[in-house]
Amino acid sequence: MANVTLEHITKRYEDVTAVDDMNLDIEDGEFVTFVGPSGCGKSTTMETIAGLTLPTEGTIEIGGRDVTDLPPKDRGISMVFQNIALFPHMDVYDNISFGLRLREYDQEEIDRRVEEAADIVQLEGMMDRMPEEMSGGQRQRVAIARAIVRNPDVFLMDEPLANLDAKLRVHMRTELQRLHKELDTTIIYVTHDQAEAMTMSDRIAVIDSGQLQQIDPPLVCYNEPTNLFVAGFIGSPSMNFVEGEVTADGFDAEHVTVDFDPDAYDVSVGDEVTLGIRPEDVYLADGVESVEDPSAVVDAWTDVLEPMGNEVFVYLKLAQDAELRIDERDSDQLLMSVDPDVEVEEDGEIDVVLDRSRVHLFETGSGDAIVHGLD
Amino acid sequence: MSRVDDLRGTLAAVDRSRAALYAVLFAMVAFYLAPLESGLATSIKTEAGFRATTPYAPPPLGEFTLAAWQVAFDRLSQGLINSLLMAIPATVLSALLGSLSAYGLTNLDWRGQTGVLVLFVAGVFLPYQSVLVPLRQFWSAVDLPSLIPLGFVGSYEGLITLSLTHAAYGIPICTVLFRSYYATLDEEMIEAARLDGASAATIYRRIVLPLSVPIFAVTLIYQFTQVWNDLLFAIVLVTDPSNQVVTVALNQLQGSFVNQYNLQMAGAFVAALPTLVVYVLFGEQFAKGVAGES
Repeated sequence: MANVTLEHITKRYEDVTAVDDMNLDIEDGEFVTFVGPSGCGKSTTMETIAGLTLPTEGTIEIGGRDVTDLPPKDRGISMVFQNIALFPHMDVYDNISFGLRLREYDQEEIDRRVEEAADIVQLEGMMDRMPEEMSGGQRQRVAIARAIVRNPDVFLMDEPLANLDAKLRVHMRTELQRLHKELDTTIIYVTHDQAEAMTMSDRIAVIDSGQLQQIDPPLVCYNEPTNLFVAGFIGSPSMNFVEGEVTADGFDAEHVTVDFDPDAYDVSVGDEVTLGIRPEDVYLADGVESVEDPSAVVDAWTDVLEPMGNEVFVYLKLAQDAELRIDERDSDQLLMSVDPDVEVEEDGEIDVVLDRSRVHLFETGSGDAIVHGLD
Repeated sequence: MSRVDDLRGTLAAVDRSRAALYAVLFAMVAFYLAPLESGLATSIKTEAGFRATTPYAPPPLGEFTLAAWQVAFDRLSQGLINSLLMAIPATVLSALLGSLSAYGLTNLDWRGQTGVLVLFVAGVFLPYQSVLVPLRQFWSAVDLPSLIPLGFVGSYEGLITLSLTHAAYGIPICTVLFRSYYATLDEEMIEAARLDGASAATIYRRIVLPLSVPIFAVTLIYQFTQVWNDLLFAIVLVTDPSNQVVTVALNQLQGSFVNQYNLQMAGAFVAALPTLVVYVLFGEQFAKGVAGES
């Protein structure tokens, strides 16, 4: 078990900077998820921790030991890969014990540890199966057992569930959480799936363009995103954004106005700001008693309904003029979620309000958050 | 009613196109097998027999004989043995070295590997004729028996020379064949082995080599056929008659005054037998390797 510290990690390839001055402090026993769109540098960051790639600049410490120049095998890590990457010509036992046999542990020790690892991932009685005879989930368990058996200080998992089908992925998600509880080892987990990140992690590190955007517990990332990127990336469906500017009365855009006192926040009249509001914080104006502090009414037009069972997503067009409605600008659209028992018709006029206490404001230019929730 | 007629029409159409297809296929088979058939027919005729009939015709009554096969086998047997002694080590050596260099050029990461790979690819396209003279001069400058101080080297010098030449000449094409296969190996699997503490050599021995069986079959068959069928290097590099390989011996079956077609045909079949045996032995693996399965 060990903490992991990244200081000023930068990885440049010939003409691209994959990781740009990354600083991270991961606690002993923590489950941290690197999340971001593909190509954001999250996998490269993990590869530098694993030692599969050497950083151009910066240092990496694992358990207080500088491992920047150590080969992967001496870093006290094990890794689980997206492709599962079992050795196809070896049976389960040989796959799991490969590393131990290389290190020439004595046979009893190898047997004991393989059995223990297989036990944890529930692979008893499958020791002489070949990978090709197993299902995707079973293979992934073998891969995890192979990682466990080495008794690492840190587990690195690079999208280990990405190649599994949806049902199995959800199942393995809970298994990984159970595993983390059982082993109490530091786990660094890479995924582009924000749902995986939200459900499993102690903290989420949101990465974009090689830069760390935010590292916080899932709900903090959700409720207090530091910038537009995090706000848009975390949460499904995404947060709504409306571009506008600050007036003496508050926020003003073509179709949306939200009152506030500009002096109360770090903004001045004329600033270009983007308002963010999550779908569940948009309400029907009728019977809005549940919202303590609703905004002014926004006139909208319902476009498409997506019933999900437990809720219904309603796509709203804000421009009332039929001609203008063809325009597909983001600022003219709003997504809201309503209870399934609320009756909403497609292609009808509708009045909605925003929960002011859940409104986020961002600087349009830099994307940085100004305030989460208006007074 | 009309539906039944439709169906009948469809069936008739299918039958007609099927029939045409089979006709074309049989014609092509006959076309490709005709030379073999005439060779085989000629090889079992007496001299009077092959003079009196067309090559395609079976032997006339009383003109059937296996004597040509007997003679061909007797006169080629030493050549067959020599060819095996030369071709097996050459094939195995170039396949092994090709596999090793392909691994180094594909699955390991080092500076300048593209340049080296280009040299290997260039090696594939070197025409035999262009290296004949320098090769001959090179081998006359090398004193094999003193380089390899083993008793048998002196009497097999020609075969060893030829074997080493083929092994070296085969490395580029073997490397290219192995490389295309190794490029499909899962990179994460190799990284997993590295994380487990395996060195480059261990990864080759324990992971890559065991997974190479299908591509070894392809390379061995291809390379064995190449080496076995070669006549040019064999004529130029081997002067000692006791080291003569089967292709050279076959060439000498041609009489100086009379053309003994039956003997030549029988000899050609005898000389081709080992390559057939190799195909039969490795055929299944060959198909897998060509199909790119692992």
